[in-house]
Amino acid sequence: MSATMHLLRTDWFGLLVAFAVGAVALGLAQPSFLSTYNLYVMLTAFSLSILIALSQMVIVAIGQLNLSVGAIGGLAAITFAGVMEVWSVPIPVAILIGLLVGVAGGTLNGVVTHVTGLNAFVVTLATLAIFKGTNIGITEAQPFYEIPDAVKSFGNARFGFFPYLLFVSGAIGIAVWVFMRRSVLGRQLLAVGGNLNAAKLSGIPVGRVVVAAHVLSGMLAAVAGMLAVARLQLGQPTIGDDWLIISFAAPVIGGAVLAGGHVSVAGTVLGVAIIMLINNALVLLNVDPYAVQLVLGALILAAVALSRFREPA
Amino acid sequence: MRKSIFTTAASMALLLSAGVAQAADTKAALIPGGPHPYFAAWEDAAAAAAEDFGVEAEYSVPPAWELSQQNEMIESLVAQGYNAFLVFPGDASGTNATLGELDDFEIPSATLAGCTEAPTPALFCLGTDVYNSAYLGTQELIDAMGGSGQIAHFTGFLVDPNTQLRIDAVEKAASEHDGVEVMQVIADIDAPEPADEKINAFLAAQGDEVDGIVTTAWVPAVVAATSLRNLGDQRIKMVGIDHDQVVLDAIKDGFVHGTMLQNPYGQGYIGVYAMDLVRSGCTMKDDAPWLTTAQTDRFIDSGTAFVGADQVDNYQDAMVQETDKIMADFKDTYMNCPN
Repeated sequence: MSATMHLLRTDWFGLLVAFAVGAVALGLAQPSFLSTYNLYVMLTAFSLSILIALSQMVIVAIGQLNLSVGAIGGLAAITFAGVMEVWSVPIPVAILIGLLVGVAGGTLNGVVTHVTGLNAFVVTLATLAIFKGTNIGITEAQPFYEIPDAVKSFGNARFGFFPYLLFVSGAIGIAVWVFMRRSVLGRQLLAVGGNLNAAKLSGIPVGRVVVAAHVLSGMLAAVAGMLAVARLQLGQPTIGDDWLIISFAAPVIGGAVLAGGHVSVAGTVLGVAIIMLINNALVLLNVDPYAVQLVLGALILAAVALSRFREPA
Repeated sequence: MRKSIFTTAASMALLLSAGVAQAADTKAALIPGGPHPYFAAWEDAAAAAAEDFGVEAEYSVPPAWELSQQNEMIESLVAQGYNAFLVFPGDASGTNATLGELDDFEIPSATLAGCTEAPTPALFCLGTDVYNSAYLGTQELIDAMGGSGQIAHFTGFLVDPNTQLRIDAVEKAASEHDGVEVMQVIADIDAPEPADEKINAFLAAQGDEVDGIVTTAWVPAVVAATSLRNLGDQRIKMVGIDHDQVVLDAIKDGFVHGTMLQNPYGQGYIGVYAMDLVRSGCTMKDDAPWLTTAQTDRFIDSGTAFVGADQVDNYQDAMVQETDKIMADFKDTYMNCPN
């Protein structure tokens, strides 16, 4: 197979072309699109959204859905901010605690899903309420304001138009890519999602794989939540409330099969980039506020449809 | 099913409280639509009102912004003996059904901070005149801009009927000045991540052209204040809304011109006071100077005030003054009470 044919058959190449065409068109229509600050703004939102999408993607890989991604991220975010404000916990320890929240949330999702045999959709719908309720119980809907300057500075620092946040999420994205392609557990995730019975018969410890996927998902959501705290400079209890659509849309645009067994890290990242581009365009082109949701939904649907259309039958 | 559960709960509560003098046993519940920092002042107001008027008053927050959860909370509180309800309607029409069920059991209710659609069992609606607040805030902004320039308006959820009123008010204020134009309205950003993304995208694209920002929802005010601080931009004037610490600090440091305070404390305090009077036998006057809004003809403005750098250290005073002003003649103005 020629290199060109190989590229055309990848999940991500068509998306890359679509993104490039969209970016050039937007740059021509609104030159400020290419300003350093706008690129920084886009990449900042991109940094957070990559992690949100990957958090969902690893669950989609095993053929399940996780409705509690935002709730776990929000709980980790307010925990991270809260322990620093209330107990003056050092930043590294606070990060560790935030990660543990993600691990705990993911473990709960995974264990309950596996032990009960209930659909993860139902389980995570319930845990969403538990995590969100815990969040509200802790914060009483009030933000944590006293975020250390180092965290705030990091969340808003940049190198040219590259936010420092992107270095974190970029490194994690590469790690997830390596994990999914090269590690045994990563391949087992796809095997479980592709054919559960075959995975069992081939000796894959399905229970452990399911729990591991949920733990990884929880950790990714927790990192996204903590980066959101750094970016927003406060621990808002509503962090994560708005993550659901992008968490599903980006992996699907990126070629993930919702039934499991096939996901693409590069495709998911490009799916995020396309959604970011659409969001940015809606602001830059001053789209009527009453039309924004309609246009956004239609464009995401078009991206998903195009993504499916290019798949071989 | 829900109705029968409600009936059982209410019946139990009524049985428990039967024969007890009304005024002495007022147990008022203040219930927002869901978790939001705006309502935190209701808790302080409830505590102050309980002490001042010798009643019980409880602030209870539904775990999520869902009408069903708010309704379940009301049912639960009825079962616990609460006999007066002050509610931010989870749905302008849907909440009427629950308030109607309360009314069936002679449990008085009123709406705070937002109104239910008339006809409604709510005795009154005490909230911010959002149109007036947005209009006055925009006028303050235009003054700060020197009377001319381009304005961006960042606001909340479009499904909230108040949002369109705010958009109209900002447009109206701008239209009264030659050389003032609302260049862009960004809505549906009352959540931190989309607010951060869209406000900063706007500033990236139009930051050199915009002269003023008016925000009419809590989260956009916080995010816009943070963005202007991050950019170090004191050329763009901004008038925010509410009293989040981020906004107040930005006013002190010169990144925000001022904020339009609402009066959630007064809403809670006056609301409990009114409920206690109703339970003492007072009724609402039909010929009181009610204001009319798109939803109700029994609206009371809980007040709004602009707070700039001069007043920001004592911003609570502005809320207290507004509350005192309404309290001074509330009973005589709005209620018929037995001598």
